[in-house]
Amino acid sequence: MRWKPTLRNLKKRDMENKKSSTHDRELVISRTLNAPVELVWEVWTNPEHNAKWWGPDGFTNTISTMDVTPGGEWNLVMHGPDGTDYINKSIFREILPFKKIVYEHISYPWILATITFEARGEQTFINWHMLFESAEQFMQVVKTYKADAGLKQNIEKLAVYVSEMNAKSKS
Amino acid sequence: MKARRDVYQAIADPTRRAIINMIAAQPHNVNAIAEQFDMTRQAISLHVKILTDCGLLKIKQRGRDRFCEAQLDQLSEVSAFVDQYRQHWESKLDAMETYIEKLKKERYGK
Repeated sequence: MRWKPTLRNLKKRDMENKKSSTHDRELVISRTLNAPVELVWEVWTNPEHNAKWWGPDGFTNTISTMDVTPGGEWNLVMHGPDGTDYINKSIFREILPFKKIVYEHISYPWILATITFEARGEQTFINWHMLFESAEQFMQVVKTYKADAGLKQNIEKLAVYVSEMNAKSKS
Repeated sequence: MKARRDVYQAIADPTRRAIINMIAAQPHNVNAIAEQFDMTRQAISLHVKILTDCGLLKIKQRGRDRFCEAQLDQLSEVSAFVDQYRQHWESKLDAMETYIEKLKKERYGK
């Protein structure tokens, strides 16, 4: 039967979907990692290791605080390839060793991230759930990302163009 | 000057998403849309106007009725960018995976 979008049905659907009522402001990624959970946990929670892989390609990170306890602070600065620093301040909310990390990213954009670890023998299944403040804010973040990606593409295009111009002027 | 509207703004509102859902199934006239919501006709008209400005809705005159039709092409752009943004997080997992492999080699030589 076709779903009829009356107000009552909309409300009913909202109630039935309570679990996924955050679907318009969340992002979920997961993966099976080829390492036991102890190692994955260490790589995630030890600042020396965490700084080595956090942040996009071409970025380096400085972690000044990483207190992996409930209420503990995590201060990380990502250094972009162009020299721009991005300050990331988070507070750990829930820590279940080898099982779960919940942290609140309190710098913009606000994100409540829940990472669960599931031991599967020599492997670990990691699930990463990010909840944004609102659908508006999530769209804003996506839009900013789109703008950044667009800008990056433009700079790349410009670089190609400039190098082509150079080649032409030399020939 | 009128504020520039875009598709991201359009779908950030739950009422507007519900309207898109409704008219995606079949075109509705504005009155039929208004009847489904606990809102004034004016409020619904404003949402319809925003959706029109954002290019997600097209009004077609049929006799005395004005029908709202969904224009969904732009939504694929949004989902493409959400996917790209997701990719940005996936790359964090990629980097973690690579780092773990490196660490395993250093520690266990395999």
